[in-house]
Amino acid sequence: MTLVEIKNVSKEYKTGQKALNDISLSINKGEFVVVIGPSGAGKSTLIRVINQLVSPSSGAVLFQQQNITTAKGKKLRKLRSHIGMIFQHYNLVERTNVLKNVLHGKLGQVSFFTSAFGRYTQEDRQIAMELLAQVGLLDQAYKRADELSGGQMQRVGICRALMQNPALILADEPIASLDPKSSEIVMTQLKEITESRNMTTIVNLHQVDIAKKYATRIIGVKKGEIVFDGTPVELTEEKIEQLYNNEAIPAINMENPTMILAQQEEHAYG
Amino acid sequence: MDNLGSIALAHQKSLKKRVTVALLSVIGIYSFVYLQVDPITPLLTLPNVFLFFGEIFFPPNFNGFSSYIALIVQTLLFAVVGTYISAVLSFVFGLLMAESINPIAPLRIAVRFIVSFIRNIPILVWASLLVYIFGIGNMVGLIALILATFGFLTRSYAEEMNNIADSKLEALKATGATPAQLLVHGIIPAFFPSWINWTFFSFEINIRASSILGMVGAGGIGIMIQTNIRLFKYQEAMALIIILVILVLLTEFCVNKLRKWIL
Repeated sequence: MTLVEIKNVSKEYKTGQKALNDISLSINKGEFVVVIGPSGAGKSTLIRVINQLVSPSSGAVLFQQQNITTAKGKKLRKLRSHIGMIFQHYNLVERTNVLKNVLHGKLGQVSFFTSAFGRYTQEDRQIAMELLAQVGLLDQAYKRADELSGGQMQRVGICRALMQNPALILADEPIASLDPKSSEIVMTQLKEITESRNMTTIVNLHQVDIAKKYATRIIGVKKGEIVFDGTPVELTEEKIEQLYNNEAIPAINMENPTMILAQQEEHAYG
Repeated sequence: MDNLGSIALAHQKSLKKRVTVALLSVIGIYSFVYLQVDPITPLLTLPNVFLFFGEIFFPPNFNGFSSYIALIVQTLLFAVVGTYISAVLSFVFGLLMAESINPIAPLRIAVRFIVSFIRNIPILVWASLLVYIFGIGNMVGLIALILATFGFLTRSYAEEMNNIADSKLEALKATGATPAQLLVHGIIPAFFPSWINWTFFSFEINIRASSILGMVGAGGIGIMIQTNIRLFKYQEAMALIIILVILVLLTEFCVNKLRKWIL
């Protein structure tokens, strides 16, 4: 069953930068999709047109058969409330405690007075606590968000997204600011939750090995276009090479070691 | 790697450097000549200045202290009330002025224009203007204080709000939050530390400003300093100046303690 359908979407920013070029894509329920590609390829934009944080210049995005691109106001907020999102920099409200941050996931589904005066139902609080327990942060519930480590903050971010009880989770470089150990925890939890709740997840990553380890489907984006779409097995070394290094690689000058370093860095952060 | 010989730290164009130095000296010297200021005289008369100052201003005369208390309280309260009102007004106008929060461009530009107009009129000019309109009195001082603080705070707030809005609000927007919820759950908590910092900072400025205001007839401790000097009661004036300095230092101390306690 198709959950998200992207139809001929292009995006050109006001600066003239073309981020997406006529992209069409459909994502089925239950998939764990990882989007990879060099930085500036349009990964972030691709993920943001799905929940309309970025509105496309042309084309349309259907979420659960409803056009989210033309949706406005209440209807847009309703659609968004079914899509959880996780960010590279976690984007928690740092001066607010962990539990309240998780409950922010409910914002799209409760009234202003409920949230503003903290009148969340006991049931919602219970759910939030259970989510925190699931990611091993129950004892941190009343700490301020900025007291946590990066890995812990990201797990709060996941809880916030799950609090929405979403059909779809979008994760924009969720582990780019984390150490390898925390990265693994975050990715494993994300994967397990997707499977156990029969959800769908789209993750932007720049680590190809991690993409191959977790994804059910990998999409390679380059210069605003989809250049690869297939299973992890189909993503061969050759395809990876094509995705990241189409440009001729300048000959490495062994007498100038800084050149090599610069190139490696480009790979790591690229 | 080959030895590159001596390595310069920067590609500084020495011509540019020389022109800058020449221009700065010409402007400096010309200003003195044009204003017919002799920089040597004040230096030579410096000992006499100190002597004169010491003779007529010292020792300070604190005899009238009990009558100053009301003025001190007045000065303090001016600053408190002025800062309070401007902080609230500026918060609202800051929201209206922040690009990433207020989507209505014409309104934003209008607010920006008004605020920058108000900000660029110095507080003493405001006070003189208002005294002319409303006559001498406390109200004038307060309004001048509010206007000056408002101009300053609104701009500072708006800049901070812009910084928050880009990254932090995206997450809440993605949950389907309404604009009112974004304000309460996103902007206000994230903005809180800068709100406290800027507001306390302007409170400190306002303590000093509210003492100046008296000099143009707008109430507070300044009016007594002015009056005493005009009546040649320099020792009483000195007492007031010392009180003012202590007041400012005490405020700074208390504000710092308070800031640490809150944040």
